[in-house]
Amino acid sequence: MDGLTPTEQREFQSRMERKQMKEFMGMFSNLVGHCFDSCIDDFTTKSLVQRETGCVTRCVKKFMAGSERIGQRFQEQQAQMMNQPPPGQ
Amino acid sequence: MSMFGFGKPQPSSAEKIAAAEQEMDLFTDMFNKLQQACMKKCVPKEYREGELNKGEGVCIDRCSSKFFDVQLKISELLQAEAAAKGATGGGFGIGGM
Repeated sequence: MDGLTPTEQREFQSRMERKQMKEFMGMFSNLVGHCFDSCIDDFTTKSLVQRETGCVTRCVKKFMAGSERIGQRFQEQQAQMMNQPPPGQ
Repeated sequence: MSMFGFGKPQPSSAEKIAAAEQEMDLFTDMFNKLQQACMKKCVPKEYREGELNKGEGVCIDRCSSKFFDVQLKISELLQAEAAAKGATGGGFGIGGM
């Protein structure tokens, strides 16, 4: 990502923004599928029962917490990789 | 970096941006795989509480660490394969991270 002129950087930026949007929508879709799968199994009623609502809430919170932690580990690893010489050198 | 005008021609704007984008895609992909794998392995589906408990947190840390190790290992193995087959450069470019 070095060596881009300001114009190129702007283009790259706008592509990254589109990508981020796409990523977010993917994550949302994933989360819906995952929490529905994990929490919803009572089809005696048409609307969510309290147990299910609570489960979904906890599911989302837990997912976000896990995601955040993983993000931190990921960033640490990236930082570490930047500081090390590439393997085999 | 060539000082005398020899060597590879300068990549075009589109090529540079595409390369940067590809690098970004690689990282995003890696993160998503990591997230899926470690959430699956470390967080059971019961969702009794809305936070990570200590065990889950530690599991995630260790899972992430192992994931990166596996990635490095595979990268090395693939490079060794390529070298053994006598392939010249320009194959994967994974080691360039």
